[in-house]
Amino acid sequence: MYRVQLQNFEGPLDLLLFFIRRDELDIHDIPVARITDEYLDYVRLLEEIDLDGVGDFIYMAAILIGIKARMLLPRPELDDEGEPIDPRAELVQRLLEYMRYKEAAGHLEGRYEVRAEQFVRGAASAVRGAIEGDLEPSYRVSVFDLITVLQRVLEEAPDEPPVHPILRYDYTVEEQTEYVLRHVRGGKTSFVQLVAKRPKGFVITTFLAILELVQRRAVRIVDGVTAEDFQLAPGERPQVHGSLEAAVISKREE
Amino acid sequence: MESLTRVTEALIFAADEPVAGTAIAATYAEVTGNDEVDAAAVEEAVAALNGAYAEEGRVFRIQAWAGGFRMATVREVAPFVRALVAAEEERRLSRSLMETLAVIAYKQPVSKPEVDFVRGVDADYALKKLLEKKFVTVVGRSDAIGRPLLYGTTDFFLEQFGLNDLDELPRPREIEQLLNDPAFVHERTELLVNLDPDQREALRTDAEPATEHE
Repeated sequence: MYRVQLQNFEGPLDLLLFFIRRDELDIHDIPVARITDEYLDYVRLLEEIDLDGVGDFIYMAAILIGIKARMLLPRPELDDEGEPIDPRAELVQRLLEYMRYKEAAGHLEGRYEVRAEQFVRGAASAVRGAIEGDLEPSYRVSVFDLITVLQRVLEEAPDEPPVHPILRYDYTVEEQTEYVLRHVRGGKTSFVQLVAKRPKGFVITTFLAILELVQRRAVRIVDGVTAEDFQLAPGERPQVHGSLEAAVISKREE
Repeated sequence: MESLTRVTEALIFAADEPVAGTAIAATYAEVTGNDEVDAAAVEEAVAALNGAYAEEGRVFRIQAWAGGFRMATVREVAPFVRALVAAEEERRLSRSLMETLAVIAYKQPVSKPEVDFVRGVDADYALKKLLEKKFVTVVGRSDAIGRPLLYGTTDFFLEQFGLNDLDELPRPREIEQLLNDPAFVHERTELLVNLDPDQREALRTDAEPATEHE
């Protein structure tokens, strides 16, 4: 069963940094209750989309809830020297360390690109085999930006009409991939244009199809992402290679 | 009797991978019987060669990568070389792979659980990819419980990133500088996938290595 790998995009620490940046929070004084609520909202949505790798997010949710609980204690916890411990401190340290490595990764990428412009004798043929093209896109837009848009759209998406218990209409990522490609090939289109007024199952499956197509570079996200929508255009490889095993999303009985 | 400079130039040209100064000196000594040349003399020869290349307007320089020397074309002619090798696949690494690589490069030797912890996600896929690409390799086993494998970067990694040794890894900025960076505060929606090379260049922080002089 094929699943889009969320960890190829970003993880729970990225999500926390996403909130901190977006809400312009002070990383040394994180409002735990608020960030935990926002975080849990996202995790619920991630679970509904059924992306792989949600386990790491749930684990972080548990950590956040634990910190929130400790912040509510009437008396501060004390360390070995009798100094009060900030329950957030360990997490903040982790976030800061993570940021340093992200920064380092940016520098490394710069070095990589410079090196890529310098060719050695017979370089291309010798090296080409060892460094295959990576199918993962160099993703600058956060996948959480896209999920924010999905959240908005889902709020307005109608539920599926009541269906006969024997007949069930399922949408597959494979079908939606073709659907998206058909519309994108004609030129630029947007997520909202693709899914407006469609039922929730359609919206979610189309979203997954888009993630898959971006991963395969068949489609690009262009022009920046707003809270309401994002634009799509043909990618570097407009054909989808091979076949996807269908990921079936059916309407869950509410 | 050929001079060390000419021999250095010949060996670096003919080699298929970075060749160490000590290897050049040893080869020179072997053939000429003059064993007073050392790696320092080779470095001087390299500097002289690069100086001559620059003066003559040549399109290659000798770079110091992975503890050895290698000739490579200058960046200005990249568009032409690339066009000749039109079939070359896109070599971009994803952000996720680059971050995992950064953790390993700076923390090595490091076990997978440590990498998972720093990144907050299971690094299994990224680690496999990096091993495949030969940027990373197993360097030993930890003494910790379960005796997990330890990973580190390879010489190939150094070469592909234009680094002479691990000391040349860019220094991460201090936390204060990170927090004060305006890019951290505001939404970043630039799409590197969509930018043309000039725009990308403008966004890059100091990426030029010290050896880059044309």
